[in-house]
Amino acid sequence: MYELLLDGIQNLLHLKYFVPLAIGTLIGVIGGAMPGITNTMTVIMVLPFTFGLEPLQGLSAMIGVYIGGESGGLITSCLLGIPGKPSSVATMFDGYPMSRKGEPGRALWLGIWASFFGGLLGGIFLVGTTGPLASLALAFGPWEYFSLFIFALSMVAGLTGASIAKGLLSGAVGLVITIIGNDPVMGQPRLTLGIGWLEGGIPFLPVLIGVFAFAQIMGDVEKMGRSAVDPAAELIIPKLVVSHAKVIWEILSRPVMLLWTSFVGVLIGVLPAIGGSAANVMAYDQAKKFSSHPERFGTGTPEGIIASEAANNSNVGGSLVTIMAFGIPGDAVTAVMLGALTIHGIQPGPLFISQEPKLAYGIFAAYILGHFIMIAIMLVGVRWFLRIVLVPKSILFPIILVLCVVGAYALNNTMANVYVLVLCGLLGYGMVKGGLPLAPLILGVILGDQIEINLVRSLMTDDNLWLFFTRPISGLLLFLSVASVLFALWQHKRGQKKDAVPEDGADF
Amino acid sequence: MKLTRDGWTGLACLIGSLVLFAFTLGLRDNPLVPIGPGFYPRIVLAITAVLAGWVLLQSFWQPVRAGKGGENYSLVAGVFAVFFLYVGAMPFLGFRISTVLFMAALQWTLEPPRAAKARVVLGATALITTVVSYYLFEGYLQVLLPRGRWTDF
Repeated sequence: MYELLLDGIQNLLHLKYFVPLAIGTLIGVIGGAMPGITNTMTVIMVLPFTFGLEPLQGLSAMIGVYIGGESGGLITSCLLGIPGKPSSVATMFDGYPMSRKGEPGRALWLGIWASFFGGLLGGIFLVGTTGPLASLALAFGPWEYFSLFIFALSMVAGLTGASIAKGLLSGAVGLVITIIGNDPVMGQPRLTLGIGWLEGGIPFLPVLIGVFAFAQIMGDVEKMGRSAVDPAAELIIPKLVVSHAKVIWEILSRPVMLLWTSFVGVLIGVLPAIGGSAANVMAYDQAKKFSSHPERFGTGTPEGIIASEAANNSNVGGSLVTIMAFGIPGDAVTAVMLGALTIHGIQPGPLFISQEPKLAYGIFAAYILGHFIMIAIMLVGVRWFLRIVLVPKSILFPIILVLCVVGAYALNNTMANVYVLVLCGLLGYGMVKGGLPLAPLILGVILGDQIEINLVRSLMTDDNLWLFFTRPISGLLLFLSVASVLFALWQHKRGQKKDAVPEDGADF
Repeated sequence: MKLTRDGWTGLACLIGSLVLFAFTLGLRDNPLVPIGPGFYPRIVLAITAVLAGWVLLQSFWQPVRAGKGGENYSLVAGVFAVFFLYVGAMPFLGFRISTVLFMAALQWTLEPPRAAKARVVLGATALITTVVSYYLFEGYLQVLLPRGRWTDF
C-alpha cells in the first residue's frame, strides 16, 4: 500500500500532474476567499477545463480546488469577519476577534496550519480505510447495493433541512428525474413527452450544475442593490508577519483537541451530503465543550480557530473515502468528481481501487501534496487574496454562467445538456424558494439509476422480496434507513435540531 | 384556508407526480422480461405523491410566516430572461457572438454602468471572457463550441 502511495506521489510530482494540482489549489484558495462562492461553484467552474485532460490530471485539479477552497475561506473570515464560504463560519467566531485584538497574522496562520494538519490527519484516514471498506463492499450483491443507496438517501433526507418530509420529498424528486428517458432493460422511452433529446435520459452533471449554480447565484442576485455595507469600502490590508514555529507549536501542543476535531471532520465527511459547514461548526462546538475555559470561545481563543479549520479540511478526506469505496459522493464537490470520472468511462466503487490503482493512489497523493501546495500558495499570496472581495459580482456572475454553459455543452457537445441546465436552474431556484433542500435531490439524481438497476437485477435473480430483509447486510442497511428516518423525526419532534447544517448554506 | 410556502411546494409536487404517474400507465409491459418499464417509475412516483401529500398536510398545521422581504425579484427575473435569451440565441448566433452579447447584457442588468470608464470595463470584460474561453476550449481543450446557423461563426 505504502509503495503504491510513494509511486503515486512520485507520479504526481511530474509537471503534467503537478501543474493542474497547483493551479487547482490556487483557484480553490481564490474561490474560497470570495464571499458567496462555495467550493461547489468553484469546482463547477473548473469542470469544463478538465474534459480535455487525462483523468488523473483533471482529478488533481479538482482535489486542489477542494483543498484550496476549504482553506481559502478562512482568509476573509479571520481578517474581515466575512466567511468566505459556509464551512468557515465557525472560524470567524474566534478568528475575527483575534484579528481585532491586533493579531491578524496569528489568527490567519493558526487557521492555515490547522487546515494543513487536519487535512493530513484526514489523509491518513483516507489512505488507511478506503481499501478495507472497498473490500467489504465487494461482498455486496444487488440487494445490498439497493439497500445501501436507500440508506444513503434516507440519511441525507433526515440530516439536511428542517423537515424530514421535505428532505425525503426532495430525494424522491431526484429519483423522478432519473426515470425520464429509456428504461434500462428494454430501452423503451419513459416520460419523455415526445421530446427526442430526453430519450437518452438526463445526465446528472448538467442537473448538478444548473441546480447549484442558479440556486446560489439567484440567491445573491436577490440581495443585490439592497446591501448597505460594502465590504470593500473598509478594506485595509493588515500586517500578517508571524513566527510560523510558534504558531505550529500552538497547534501541536493541543494534540488531543487536534485529533478529536479532525476525527469529527472525517466522520462528517464520510456521511453523505453533510459537508464542511457542519464539520466546521460541530468541531467548534466539541472544542468548546471539552475546553477548560469555554467562556473564552468567541473572544479570540486559538482553540476555536484550530478546531474549526482542522475539521473542515479533514472532512475532505472523509468525503473522498465514500466515493472511492462505495461510489457514493460525500458532498457536491465529490459528486462533480464522480461526474468527471464517468465522462472518462471510470466508475468509482468497490472495484475502483483494485482496477485503477494508479488513479486511486494518484488521488491519495494529490490529496496529500495539495496540502503542501496550499501552504506554499498562502505563504506567497495571502495578502493578495484579501483583495478578492473587490471583484464585483456583476462581473463574476456572468463569467460563472458562461462557464456553466460551456461545462454542460462540452459533456457531449450538444445543446440538449444546456437545455437541461436551464430547466434545472429553474428547478433549483424554485426548490430553494419552496423550502426544499438541494442535497437529497442531487443524491437522488446520482443514485437513481443505480437504485433501479440493482432493484431490477435482484428481482430478476430471485423475485422473493423478503431477500432484501433476510440477507444480513441488506437487512441491516434497511433497518438503519428506517432508524435514521425515525431518529430524524424524533429529533425534529423534540425540537432539538440545531442550526449546525444551514439549509441554504449546505455544501451539498 | 391560505396555503403556506410548504403547502404550495407539496401541492405542486403532488400534482406533478400524479400527472407523471398517469403517463406511466400508458407504458406497455414486454412479455420477454418479468419487470416492465413502468414498474420502477410507478413505485417512485407513488412514493413522491405520498411524500408530497405529507408535506401538504403538514403545512396545514404550520403558521403562515411572512417572508423576509426586500428580495430583488425583478432583478432575478431579469437575469433569468437574459440567460434564456442567451441559450435560445446560441444555436442561431453561435457561441462567440451570443457570449459577447450575453456578458454585456447581464453585466448591464446586474449593475448598469454610469460612467464611461465603467462602460469600457463592461465591454472589455465581455470581449476578453469570450475570446479567452473560445481559444482555451477550442484550441487547448478540443471542445468544439456551437456555431451559429445564421452566422456560421
